[in-house]
Amino acid sequence: MRQILSVAAIATTAVALLLGPCLAQAQSQSIQISNAWARSARMAHGGMGSGSMEKGSMDKGSMHKGDMGKMEGANGAVYVTLTNTGAQADALLSASSDAAQTVELHETKNDAGVMKMRPVAKIDVPAGGKIEMKPGGYHVMLLGLKRDLKKGDKVAVTLKFERGGEVSAEATVR
Amino acid sequence: MRILHHCAALVLLLAGSANAAEFKGGLLTPAKMAPDFSLTTQEGKPFRLSSERGKVVALWFGYTFCPDVCPTTLAELAQVRSQLGGEGNRFRIVFVTVDPERDTQARLREYVSAFSGSFTALTGAPERLAETRKAYGVVADKRVIAGTSAAYLIDHSAFVYVIDPAGQLRLMFPFGMPIEDMTHDIKLLLGR
Repeated sequence: MRQILSVAAIATTAVALLLGPCLAQAQSQSIQISNAWARSARMAHGGMGSGSMEKGSMDKGSMHKGDMGKMEGANGAVYVTLTNTGAQADALLSASSDAAQTVELHETKNDAGVMKMRPVAKIDVPAGGKIEMKPGGYHVMLLGLKRDLKKGDKVAVTLKFERGGEVSAEATVR
Repeated sequence: MRILHHCAALVLLLAGSANAAEFKGGLLTPAKMAPDFSLTTQEGKPFRLSSERGKVVALWFGYTFCPDVCPTTLAELAQVRSQLGGEGNRFRIVFVTVDPERDTQARLREYVSAFSGSFTALTGAPERLAETRKAYGVVADKRVIAGTSAAYLIDHSAFVYVIDPAGQLRLMFPFGMPIEDMTHDIKLLLGR
C-alpha cells in the first residue's frame, strides 16, 4: 500500500513539475467546497480593561485574579459543504484562517436536548459523499477571533485534506 | 369531515383560545407560572422576569464562547422578532449565561451586539444562576476537553423556554425548530 502511495506521490510530483500552477486545482479536484459561510461574531475588545468589570457585575470569587492574564478571545464558526466527487474516500484533517488565533474542527451533538461540542481529529468525506457542516453538527471552529466578523465580510479558510491536500475557501459572514 | 375539522380549528383560532394542538413547539401542560428570577443585564441594570408581564419572553441559557448552537439560536430568535413586525416589541429575547466566569458584562454586550435586534443578556452570582438553571431544569456541565485550545467547554441544554404574557411557562422550542414555526407559536401567545 505504501509503495503504491509513494508511486502516486512521485506521479503527482511529476505532474506538478509539468503543470506547475495547475497543481492546486488538480489536487483538489475530487473535493468540492460549496456554501461556505460564517456566523457573525464580535471579537473580544475589552479584554481586562476597566470597562469589562463594572461594579457589582460579578460576585467576588467568580473571577480569579490568576485568570486575568489569559483571557480567551471570542470564538466563531465557519460552515462549509464538502462534496467528494472522486472514487476514493478523503478526510478533512485541519483548517487554518488568519481570522483567528487557533482553528479546530468541532462537532456538536445533541444528547437528549443537551448540546455537547467536542473537537474531532478529522471529518471523513466518503467517496461520492457529501458532508454538510451546519449548526448543531460539524463546524470549523475559530478560537480567539482577531477581528469582528460582520455580515457580508469574507473569511478566508484553508482546509487540509488527507488526500486532496490544501484547498482554499472563502466564507461569507451571515 | 376534514373541512369541518379545519373550520372548527379556525373558529377556535378566531375566538382567540388557541388549541393546544396548534402549537408547533413542545407544550407544557398544565401551564404553570414561570420560575421567577432576578439577575443583571449586560448594561448593569437589574432584571426581574416577573416584571415582563404583557410580553412573550424567550429564555435561552448559553455562553458567549459557544460559537455554534448559541449564536444560531439567538440569530433565529432575532429573525422571529423581525417576522413579528410591529408586535416584535412585545417579544423579549433573554440570554442567560451559564458561564459567569468568562461572560463579563462587557463580553455579553459585545456578544449580543453581533446580532440584529435588541437582546437582554443576563449574568449574576454563580449561585443565583445555578438556582435559575435548576428551576428550569437546565443542564450546564463545564468540561475540560483534550484536543482543543479552549480552556473548557460547557455542555448545556438547548431549549428555548417560552413564557406567555401572563407569566406562564408555556412552550419549549427544541434546537433546529423552523423559524416560521417559532414565529407561529409566538404570535399565538401574543394574540391571547
